[in-house]
Amino acid sequence: MIVKIARKEFTEMLRDGRFRWAAAIVFALLLASLVMGGKHYRDVKRQHDLAQAETRDQWLRQPAKNPHSAAHYGIYAFKPKLLPAMLDRGVDPFVGQSVWLEAHKQNEFKFKPAQDATAVQRFGELTAATVLQLLIPLLIILLSFSAFAGEREQGTLRQLLSLGVRKTDLVWGKALGVSGALALLIVPATIVGVVALAMVSDNGLLGASAGRMAWLFVSYLLYFGVFIGVSLAVSAWAKSSQMALVVLLAFWIVNGLIAPRAVADAAKRVHPTPSAFAFQQTMDREMQSGPDGHDTADKRAEALKQKVLKQYGVDKLEALPVNFAGISLQEGEEHSNVVFDKHYSELWNRFERQNRLKQLAGAVAPMLAIQSVSMSLAGTDFAHHRNFATAAESYRRFLVKKMNDDMTFNAGKEDFSYLAKPALWQTVEDFRYDAPSASWALSQQTISLALLTLWCLAALTFAAVTTAKMRVD
Amino acid sequence: MLEAVNLSKHYNGTAALDALNLKIEPGEVFCLLGANGAGKTTTINLFLNFIEPTSGSAKIKGLDVTAQPLETKRHIAYIPEQVMLYKNLTGLENLEYFSALAGHDKYSREQLLNFFDQVGLQREAAERRVGTYSKGMRQKVGIAIALAKQARALLLDEPTSGLDPKASNEFSELLKKLSGQGVAVLMATHDLFRAKESGTRVGIMKRGKLVNQLRTEEIGHTDLERIYLEHMHD
Repeated sequence: MIVKIARKEFTEMLRDGRFRWAAAIVFALLLASLVMGGKHYRDVKRQHDLAQAETRDQWLRQPAKNPHSAAHYGIYAFKPKLLPAMLDRGVDPFVGQSVWLEAHKQNEFKFKPAQDATAVQRFGELTAATVLQLLIPLLIILLSFSAFAGEREQGTLRQLLSLGVRKTDLVWGKALGVSGALALLIVPATIVGVVALAMVSDNGLLGASAGRMAWLFVSYLLYFGVFIGVSLAVSAWAKSSQMALVVLLAFWIVNGLIAPRAVADAAKRVHPTPSAFAFQQTMDREMQSGPDGHDTADKRAEALKQKVLKQYGVDKLEALPVNFAGISLQEGEEHSNVVFDKHYSELWNRFERQNRLKQLAGAVAPMLAIQSVSMSLAGTDFAHHRNFATAAESYRRFLVKKMNDDMTFNAGKEDFSYLAKPALWQTVEDFRYDAPSASWALSQQTISLALLTLWCLAALTFAAVTTAKMRVD
Repeated sequence: MLEAVNLSKHYNGTAALDALNLKIEPGEVFCLLGANGAGKTTTINLFLNFIEPTSGSAKIKGLDVTAQPLETKRHIAYIPEQVMLYKNLTGLENLEYFSALAGHDKYSREQLLNFFDQVGLQREAAERRVGTYSKGMRQKVGIAIALAKQARALLLDEPTSGLDPKASNEFSELLKKLSGQGVAVLMATHDLFRAKESGTRVGIMKRGKLVNQLRTEEIGHTDLERIYLEHMHD
């Protein structure tokens, strides 16, 4: 029975010119976004691979020089993109993609396309995520706003109900019919997407991203389920199809356009973050004076000197068997690392609290839940960024310490005129970073996934209940 | 087969239907006559459980329609004044869909076309989308749906209004055939001639009350018209 109803709804939609046009436009946009996303992914990946190889090469080809100069020369780290990132760019354009790892400083990330973009560009970037989060729900609304209201207006509902059809069968049949029409769009798009992914990816990468892709697929199905349920419920409840359309469009606007902005603003208000300038200033101040404001650089230098002299059992620096400049540099690093750790983790924790708030706001608008899940599975959310930044920073500390230690133990009395042989550069192994697994991403998204599931179940139940109460006139 | 027991429906205190008592046996064709607003359509809507009675009950095959809305609808077929169909589907697809939803999904294409033959709808028309149909053609599809449902009782709300005399006559013949097979019919109509021709009994309604019941075999056509007008004039 349900299948019969679904098939009839499906046939009717296919014969409706409005649906054909709307679906064709959405399909074209989805394809375009996939192709553009794939191209963007390939270009960025190629650039990153090249740049990563080049920065390593430059590091290795340094002539004999003082290790501390080498540490200043530094190296760049590029955040690798996961395959699903072609679907959803997430916060990548805002947080940057590469960082310069050098002595003394935990640098900010560079290459933030959002900084260079005009306001219009920020608004209208077409990614698969935009199509899936905004346009397909709109299509679902257009497909189903008249599901019941339209039949009531045309009078077919009277005839239908005089047959003794169960109203729940009608709801599920219609839901299935809309799903079928959507599948016409989504199945080919998924195939194109997977083929595109296979084409832009190196061997094995596709398999490695399969888990993330599967979860993305399921999450978006849940999200579409919300819209199918809400649309059918409103259609059964509304007095006219016009009214149903107005109510559903209002829901769409609040969900897709108003709620994300309002929640982002609220999150910033509740957990404010300092400006980049203020952040840097506070850190610089503490770098000078120590976290408590009394531990000045001079005092620290004196204390270190006494400590080292005592450790080696000598009474003046000249008598030390090691190079004191190297020790002093490393001590400076460790002091500043404490300051970096304190401030960066405070800042990042704030961002994470903001994100937690956005996840919770998924209870108000399913858009916030799907945005969070989608970015996370695409590997482009803040948590993934932090994971990479932390790995890059610990590599920086490893590299700088290696340089300082070489100075300490090999410079003798030469201090900064000491030159290390190029063989030293080889002893610093290349930076390797493995992106976190799909299950790590999912574990960050339990709230959003739970809310998305709840939304879907609630919307479908809402549809069933409203239809059961539906009157014919 | 169809039974109304003290069936009443009030809207804001005014009675659209006032304590209707009526029993229609298998094979009977009961025609409800009356002006617009007399309560004919209300009666049919109550049997269809589209509206809830204020008091009393409507029964089909002895079952209360509000208590068993699905079971009771299995035995009836409904043809409204304007049969409404899905205009993007063909006549045949409409018939197939409505039959399937009524529980008859085993009909072959030939059997379905046969129903159209019985109601006088051309086979080539059956393949066209309903959007191009005239009102008469839509009514015929509606009748075919009722036939395909093999209902034991028919609820007809001015089913022949707008049909040409020939189609109207064919419809009367069909009703006679069905009542011969033991189908009970409740038909609301304005057509006194048709009521006398195809009805076994007529009831005259006025302001929600059934004011007179007659057997058509006992009266002539002119008598029926006179009695009807007498009721309308006071």
